[in-house]
Amino acid sequence: MNKSMNNSAWLIRREFWENRAIWMIPAVFGALLLLAALFGQVSIPRLTSPKESEEAATAFLGAVGIMFYVVMGVYSSWYLLDCLYADRKDRSILFWKSLPISDANSVLCKLLIGMIIVPLVYFAAADATALIAAFILSIRARASIGSSLWNGDVWWQMQVLWMYAIVTTAVWYLPVAGWLMLVSASAKRAVMLWAVLPPLLLYILERVFLGTHRVGEIIGRRLTGLPSVSFNGSKYNWTHEGGFVDNASSAAPSVWHLINPSGFFTSTEVWIGAAIGIALIVAAIQLRMRRSEI
Amino acid sequence: MAALIEARDLTKKYGAHMALDRANLNVEAGRIVGLIGPNGAGKTTALRAILGLTNYEGHLSVLGREPLRDRTELMTECCFIADVAVLPSWLRVDQAIDFVAGVHPRFRRDRAVAFLAKTQITGKRRMRELSKGMKTQVHLALTMAIDAKLLVLDEPTLGLDILARRAFYDALVNDYMDETRTILITTHQVEEVENLLTDIIFIDKGRIVMDTSLEDVATRFAAVAVTADRLDAARAEKPFYERHILGKVVLYFENADPGKLGSFGEIHTPSVSDLFVAKLSGAAA
Repeated sequence: MNKSMNNSAWLIRREFWENRAIWMIPAVFGALLLLAALFGQVSIPRLTSPKESEEAATAFLGAVGIMFYVVMGVYSSWYLLDCLYADRKDRSILFWKSLPISDANSVLCKLLIGMIIVPLVYFAAADATALIAAFILSIRARASIGSSLWNGDVWWQMQVLWMYAIVTTAVWYLPVAGWLMLVSASAKRAVMLWAVLPPLLLYILERVFLGTHRVGEIIGRRLTGLPSVSFNGSKYNWTHEGGFVDNASSAAPSVWHLINPSGFFTSTEVWIGAAIGIALIVAAIQLRMRRSEI
Repeated sequence: MAALIEARDLTKKYGAHMALDRANLNVEAGRIVGLIGPNGAGKTTALRAILGLTNYEGHLSVLGREPLRDRTELMTECCFIADVAVLPSWLRVDQAIDFVAGVHPRFRRDRAVAFLAKTQITGKRRMRELSKGMKTQVHLALTMAIDAKLLVLDEPTLGLDILARRAFYDALVNDYMDETRTILITTHQVEEVENLLTDIIFIDKGRIVMDTSLEDVATRFAAVAVTADRLDAARAEKPFYERHILGKVVLYFENADPGKLGSFGEIHTPSVSDLFVAKLSGAAA
């Protein structure tokens, strides 16, 4: 156990050596947002009431968070699709496999990077960007709204929201991650095509021969259904600024009312997906272990 | 001494193609064994099976372990260089040393550093900046710094120029080899390794054609440059291969009476490469 903990620490360090994009993309993205905050045409409305300023802070932090979350989703997917393939493509798998590290250890560390560590890096980058951007915007707006754009209470809620989003995203998208890693462990080339074509083919075959849409529904639901399972979606609407508004009271709701952990973690849909994800990851480990050709 | 590697009826199929066809082999501790065969003979497949990189049929035991199932444990006592230049391009030399030192209980960092100090290679260089020969040196430095019972080298110098190849084998001989090491090496450049080896195994079409120690080669095999008038008499002794060079005929014999052969012409012990050609062409004929 101690040995695999030690190996995992090295494997994770290794991923950072190999994939400098893990921190470079969020750093560059954050820097671009800060440039926009510095030089962009931003009109900041005069905020008078505490309620208005809380809404503004929510909208601001929410918008920054969602932008980082979207970039993170794209990068993580790409990472998981590439991570096992890259070693095979440059044949360096022959070096990594000459070391006393199990294939399960290697694959699970890559999964951990894609599902937890990359999101944490983006979380940190989003926080740092929001902090500096709020500071910049406050100065540009002659400080009158600075304190309100940086609403401490809203900030804390955003931390909770991020942590919750990271955990639920990791569980919900486990089957997607498992599929991407299985393709990464098996495809000889064109991982992107192999990731997309088989599900697409299933979808078309089902449509043509059965006339039904089950495959499309299942995949579509998995790709877009997370918010409706993890949040109390019915009570609140996403506002166009990216904040949340309670339909009943039209006040920005507390994050504790927004998140729905009991609903999420008792959903059979969530656990069926997770079970499929685990099966796909086990298959990816087996492939990496036994595959005859590289 | 017990065999470090023991394979019985080792078989590997790729579809209808038999990459290994009931191959039997034994490698004993302290030997330096050359696994020699033409391209596509099954050398690499055999090594992949021995190293736990691929599944197989038949019985295979390496250092008392089943390689595929116990690869992780096996790799604490066995190390290998399979193929040239497989260190990833993004890896820095010092990172490579740190990583192996971090995960390998038998790695001796000082040895790797001392070995690299003799080269032009510095720690901050990335693999993509190094020549193929330098990359091979780094890999060899990492591998030789591991106190392993078994070292497996699969075409370790393929595609390297003659200077890099010589540097590789010199380092192996001077800095690594001693009587406690067991080395299994495949190559098709037989001349390069034949003076290192204690044992040779010829493999062809997935089968072991010959498995012998070099001491035995001298007693078992003879090549005779036969004069024209004695040719028919010599052929009656059933040579397994004939070679015509510059108007002379060289006949290759196995387990023949040296007293008799002496009357046909000059006897010498065939080199490994001659034997290889003779054995494989003979088998094909």
